Amino acid sequence: MSKPELKPVPQIQKIIAVLWPSFIIAGMATVGFFTFFDPVQLLHLEVSNEAAYSTGFFIFWLLTLSSSLLTLYFQLPTHYIPPPPIIDQSPDDL
Amino acid sequence: MKQAKNTQTVSVDDVQQTLYAKRQKIHPRKVSGLFAKLKVTSVLVLLGIFYIFPWLQWDGKQAVLFDLPARQFHIFGLTFWPQDFIYLAFLLIIAGLSLFFFTALAGRLWCGFACPQTVWTEVFLWMERMVEGDRPQRIKLDQSPLNARKFRLKATKHTLWIVFSLFTGFTFIGYFTPIHDLLDRLYPFSLGGWEAFWLFFYGFATYGNAGWMREQVCTYMCPYARFQSAMFDKDTMIIAYDEARGEPRGSRKRGVDYKEKGLGACIDCTMCVQVCPTGIDIRNGLQYQCISCSACIDICNDVMDKMGYAKGLIRYTTEHSLEGKEVHILRPRIFVYGGFLLFLLGLLIYAIGIRNPIQLDVIRDRASLYRETSQGLIENVYVIKAINKDSVPHTFELTASGIEGLKVVLDREIAVDAGSVLDVPISLVVNPNYLTDRATTISFKLTAKDNPELSNEEEARFLGPNYR
Ligand code: SF4
Ligand code: SF4
Repeated sequence: MSKPELKPVPQIQKIIAVLWPSFIIAGMATVGFFTFFDPVQLLHLEVSNEAAYSTGFFIFWLLTLSSSLLTLYFQLPTHYIPPPPIIDQSPDDL
Repeated sequence: MKQAKNTQTVSVDDVQQTLYAKRQKIHPRKVSGLFAKLKVTSVLVLLGIFYIFPWLQWDGKQAVLFDLPARQFHIFGLTFWPQDFIYLAFLLIIAGLSLFFFTALAGRLWCGFACPQTVWTEVFLWMERMVEGDRPQRIKLDQSPLNARKFRLKATKHTLWIVFSLFTGFTFIGYFTPIHDLLDRLYPFSLGGWEAFWLFFYGFATYGNAGWMREQVCTYMCPYARFQSAMFDKDTMIIAYDEARGEPRGSRKRGVDYKEKGLGACIDCTMCVQVCPTGIDIRNGLQYQCISCSACIDICNDVMDKMGYAKGLIRYTTEHSLEGKEVHILRPRIFVYGGFLLFLLGLLIYAIGIRNPIQLDVIRDRASLYRETSQGLIENVYVIKAINKDSVPHTFELTASGIEGLKVVLDREIAVDAGSVLDVPISLVVNPNYLTDRATTISFKLTAKDNPELSNEEEARFLGPNYR
């Protein structure tokens, strides 16, 4: 039996990791938000509910998406130059 | 310095490599057999439900309609309101817990037979097979350079996919807008902007997920696939290859006594890998990519039949039974999940049982705090939202209490149809002598005239001048 090994993270996995969780959370937030607030009463605007729900959803998605994007960004590996081996001594010893 | 430079190159290379790890396209081979038949049945039933439900009528209305503009969900004569959100939340928790329960018991049955991703992918695969042929032809076609034939086949396939996807998107929005009305507005095309947008959005998601993404959805997008291992133990039903019987694998002629040659039952034909929609080799043991579709069981049984061996080299089993140990179906995990499930179900049934079909919302008129009438009484103005979730119409009586002599002034009957809301502007008047405070909490009560047991109360504030 071959041993499982960790495979490198493919591009598609990163795209999904940004778009998809943010989509789910935005969906939940939309449902939660509009369950408690009727957009027509909330805004006193002449918009249809479909438009309000849809716009609400995309605003939520924009927010969650930016957060996901930042997560991805901060996850990027950093460069590192290892310092030389250090001998413990103070300037006085020199 | 040299070393430093090296480190840098390596890390950049690493990033490059991880960015561009490529996916191998998977061409699952066609399978037939017991589980394939079960799967076809499951796909037909589930898709049947999805595509037919919006067309059903109930009491002259669409039977299943999530009427967003009216903020009501209709499900076969039942009406749900935003205030019923709690039931939905309950239902979702129960659904989640059931998934835990069944996963612990029977593994990923859901993935293999009921998940929308599986169901739609299966349909897309049928179309693909119809146009391009089975696995060997598809691989050949994909490797061949673009010519007229390839173009024709690919174009046909994608046209089929797209038409089916658009139909799916149409059905989807039919759950939110009356579907007969939508159909009428399809030609000449006069859908609203957002309707059209969601039709294409959902259609595109179907096309992308079932046509292109396929097993990647299960591998990368599905949260359940990621944490299912937490619900698994050695007594969970899984699809597994019987290593003890199969190994050492190796090819041989039919009728040869393989045991004499020192071989196991697996003829290493790789059929199980070719049919696998997620492109793994089940012989490597339990892997999280395996969606328990049982295609490999069917095909390996065929192979065993042809070789004249006993079936079941790959089969539904448990790790304990593979190790020759005792299998425990009733185990603590099952009791814990099952207990929670029963408890929540009981709670939901209780909650629905005591659900009050009468609801009352009180909104204070924001324009004025209070008013003095010509008779020197103090008046407050409100809008009462009387909600009747019952299945019959009711006429209501409205009373208010909390201050002595508080009187409701109302210029009409509060008659509310089944499943509707009525906004009634009303006012309350009281003799200022009885007002002790600037703001007093009062209570409205709405009672059905034909059934005094049907009632609900709601608190509000009554404002008056300051007397202190
Ligand atoms: S289909 Fe059965 S016999 Fe063929 S390689 Fe797979 S396990 Fe072995
Ligand atoms: S290993 Fe078998 S059961 Fe699992 S996904 Fe592949 S074909 Fe289906």
